[in-house]
Amino acid sequence: MSTRKATSMDVLLVEDSAGDVRLTQEAFRNSNLNIRFHVAVDGTEAMAFLSRTGAYADAPRPDLILLDLNLPKMDGREVLARIKANDSLKLIPTVILTTSDAEDDIIFSYQLQANCYLTKPVHLDAFDGLVKSISEFWLNTVKLPQQSHFRKS
Amino acid sequence: MSIKLQSNRTILLAFGSAILVLIAVGLFSYRGVVESRSSAGLVEHTRDVLREFRQLSLAVETMSSSLRGYIISGDETYLEAMRTAEAAMNRERTVVRDMTKDNPEQQRRIAALDVLVVEWEQLSDRIVAMRRDSGLEATIVAFQDARGELINKSFQALRAEMIAAEISLLSVRSLEKEQDVEQTKLILIAGTLLGLLITGGAGWSVQRDSASRARTELALRESEDKFRRLIDGVRDHAIYMIGPLGEIRSWNPGAETITGWTFAEVSGQNYSRFFTADDIENGRPAELLRRAAANGHYEDRGTRVRKNGEQFAAQATLTASHDAEGKLRGFTVISRDLSEGKESEARYRGLMEAAPDAMVVVNQSGEIVLLNVQAEKQFGYHRDALLGQKVTSIIPQGFAERLIADDLRSAEDALAQQIGTGIELTALRKDGTEFPIEIMLSPLASAEGILVTAAIRDISVRNAAEKHLAQMEERYRGLLEAAPDAMVVVNQGGEIVLLNVQAENQFGYRRDELLGQMVTNIIPVGFAERLVADDLRSEEDALAQQIGTGIELIALRKDGSEFPIEIMLSPLDSAEGTLVTAAIRNISVRKAADQHMAQMEERYRGLLEAAPDAMVVVNDAGEIVLLNLQAGKQFGYRRDELLGQKVKNIIPEGFEERLIADDLRSEEDALAQQIGTGIELIARRKDGSEFPIELMLSPLENVEGTLVTAAIRNITARKQAAEQLLKKVDELYRSNEELGQFANIASHDLQEPLRMVASYTQLLSRRYKGKLDSDADEFIAFAVDGASRMQRLIQDLLTYSRVGTKGTEMVETSSEEAFQQAIMQLQGAITESGALVTHEPLPMVMADETQLTQLFQNLVGNAIKYQAPGVPKVHVSATSNGDKKWKFVVKDNGLGIDAQYFERIFGMFQRLHKREEYAGTGIGLAICKKIVERHGGSISVESQLGHGSAFGFDLASVSRDT
Repeated sequence: MSTRKATSMDVLLVEDSAGDVRLTQEAFRNSNLNIRFHVAVDGTEAMAFLSRTGAYADAPRPDLILLDLNLPKMDGREVLARIKANDSLKLIPTVILTTSDAEDDIIFSYQLQANCYLTKPVHLDAFDGLVKSISEFWLNTVKLPQQSHFRKS
Repeated sequence: MSIKLQSNRTILLAFGSAILVLIAVGLFSYRGVVESRSSAGLVEHTRDVLREFRQLSLAVETMSSSLRGYIISGDETYLEAMRTAEAAMNRERTVVRDMTKDNPEQQRRIAALDVLVVEWEQLSDRIVAMRRDSGLEATIVAFQDARGELINKSFQALRAEMIAAEISLLSVRSLEKEQDVEQTKLILIAGTLLGLLITGGAGWSVQRDSASRARTELALRESEDKFRRLIDGVRDHAIYMIGPLGEIRSWNPGAETITGWTFAEVSGQNYSRFFTADDIENGRPAELLRRAAANGHYEDRGTRVRKNGEQFAAQATLTASHDAEGKLRGFTVISRDLSEGKESEARYRGLMEAAPDAMVVVNQSGEIVLLNVQAEKQFGYHRDALLGQKVTSIIPQGFAERLIADDLRSAEDALAQQIGTGIELTALRKDGTEFPIEIMLSPLASAEGILVTAAIRDISVRNAAEKHLAQMEERYRGLLEAAPDAMVVVNQGGEIVLLNVQAENQFGYRRDELLGQMVTNIIPVGFAERLVADDLRSEEDALAQQIGTGIELIALRKDGSEFPIEIMLSPLDSAEGTLVTAAIRNISVRKAADQHMAQMEERYRGLLEAAPDAMVVVNDAGEIVLLNLQAGKQFGYRRDELLGQKVKNIIPEGFEERLIADDLRSEEDALAQQIGTGIELIARRKDGSEFPIELMLSPLENVEGTLVTAAIRNITARKQAAEQLLKKVDELYRSNEELGQFANIASHDLQEPLRMVASYTQLLSRRYKGKLDSDADEFIAFAVDGASRMQRLIQDLLTYSRVGTKGTEMVETSSEEAFQQAIMQLQGAITESGALVTHEPLPMVMADETQLTQLFQNLVGNAIKYQAPGVPKVHVSATSNGDKKWKFVVKDNGLGIDAQYFERIFGMFQRLHKREEYAGTGIGLAICKKIVERHGGSISVESQLGHGSAFGFDLASVSRDT
């Protein structure tokens, strides 16, 4: 079904909780895809990564962004806004993955055109299942723009 | 006669002159017309001349153009045309000459024209010849010779002159014609007017003449009448006229009296018949005439004879009268009865004649022996027609009868005549009409026996007046009777002379019992006194009656009881003097009402004083007219300080304004007072301090207009309490908010670390299960379990707290739909357990849909969870209790609950079973309780261990008035 070659996919996880990071990594490990994991612990880092500045000059362009909302320094909501304001970055599917299930946050995120909103389940099994769904869906099922288009000239 | 002649002459003169004038006018007009016609004729003539001139000019032009034509073309036809025109011109010339024969100027011009014509002819002949011979070129040269042009020009000039002359003549003649016409018109009008004037004058003069003639005739007739009357008035002398030979031509009453003859009997006869036989034999009558004729008059004493043959001595004077020509016309005879006894009779007769009433003297047989001229007039008879007649023919009844009686007058009659009213009878005129009369009889002794003189007065007018008066009285009486008030008429003596049926009723007397009574019997004090006073009404009384309240007195009934009355007096002039009409009104009811009113006022005043609130009564000018003790205290004033004050001074705003408004209470105010809270305003004390008050207003009608009673309550304490309450509520609200937030945040933030713990312990379990020792497995298992439970607890806590904080407004919700939602959520559990969930139609309620769904979900979920062996059955129903609430019941056939736990199960985290037996944190029912209580209802359970449970809760039904 997928025309995806066996090249690796890059996922950027923007998450401040180390615990959650590890959990997510573990969960992704269970999926079968060749995924390269990148982590930004706050909004600023995330933006630096995405704009490939400073330390992140060689950073790859992620195929998927998993974004937590409650981040120190630059808040996840702001990151979302910035991503979706950028003509290039907005093409990257940005999935909100957060503990909050507040209606306001949901509305806000979709208004800023988050690609979808997911609440972290409390239970580990459920969490695993969720991550599996995400990777299956966003990295295997959906069509993503060809990376070759975004090569820096 | 001469008048007639004169007037005739005048008429003749007048009409003659009128006719002459008319003829003159006619002649003038005729002449004028003729002249104007001639002048019109002249105008016409001038016009004709002009016309002929034009013809002439035309001919000339044709001639010259023809010539030119010939010259140019050489065509003989032009010559022909020219000859023709020439001929025409000559003809015209002659005509014009003829026509202007009377005008020498024109004649001269025509002569000049003739000359020109001759010249022209010569020239034209030459030119024609030249053309014939030499051809065009030469001819042109010749034609251009000035001569031709000169002729032409002269002709033109002449023609113009002639035309001009004729035109001016035309205008002059037209003017003349106009003037003539005008003149004629003027003459016509003037003449006619003159004629009319003369005719009018003549007519007026004739009329005047005839009027004066008529007047003269009238005067003549009048003097004749006067003369006759004079003669007739003479009763003791015979005055009559005889012709030259003694034939009796006139008569008078005196003659009648003396001789006894009527005129009818002696008219035309010779006067000698009054002479004795001897005298007649001796020719005395004629001799007297002769003597009188000779001397102009003659006096004679002799014996004469009356009709009845009686002889009497008489003195006679004859006077001859002549007409205008001196011819003897006749004699006037004046003779006197010299016999004694006749004097007094004559005198009597004289008196009778002179009487203003009709006098008739009747003898014992009832025959009229004497009457005067008035009698003649009254009855319409001639004297001699009545003399000797029975008096019954003029007074059919009542008179003759009285003659027969020995006593001529009865006692009543005597009395009647004494008081001057006489006997009333009906008389009969000659023409058959009757009229009422009053007769006064008196006896008269005479030679012929007792005669009765009757003075007869026509009382028809008096009768009519009396009848009218009677009518008026009737009407007045009628009004009196019909009056709603008691009416009493009192005379100057204080006696009741008239009263109406109401008076009878009021006083309890019969009419005849009161008539003639003194008015003091029914109105002891106050009425009679007022009659005596010259001024019937004093100033106060007059005023009282003016303002319509009358005089208040006490009246006395027949039974002795008294009652208050109000009387209104008015004077009434009558034949018997000034009467006083009194309208008497029973005012006991009114007085009672007044008294009652006064009582009520007293009572009201009492209430006012005793009231616990400050009471203030305000008039519509905003002034305080009444206040009670409390009011004084509240506001810190003395009572007298506030009376008359403007209410504004104690209640600056809100009170006075409401007085001015037509509706004393606006809708809000009315409502406020309905619910007993009144109008809240600020009041001000004497010391200037203000305090909040509540005002309850109510209007009060009284004589002086609308007053407003205000109950004023100091609500300082109440207001403070209210404020406190508000503050408390505010605090509570805030703290609640905080609590809610706190719970929310707490739960939320607790989730995070909890998730870590739970997740990693699970990871541990996953990764290292079986890889460590069994203790480790067990430890990890407990850790995992603990973490999981904690998570669930926190979830539930969050849900619980959210019932309050995340709840939405109560709206019309379909509980049916909420129920279906819950069932959907429970679908898994239902299928798994094979439960049978049924329900009855569920109503619309006021609820939060999400929470209602949750409620159903928890209850039905519980029902399924705590199932007994067999098929779990759950039934949901709702019943209405009136129109305010719906009672829902969720019934199951599950385990049932022990009664001692009915309360506990609704507590937080309360469980009746071990964790291992049934899952759940025990917060489900607590959540249900909170939801139901938030909806304003209550939740309870009925159950028996082993026999299922029925959980009931109530919700508000949808309000009917929305």
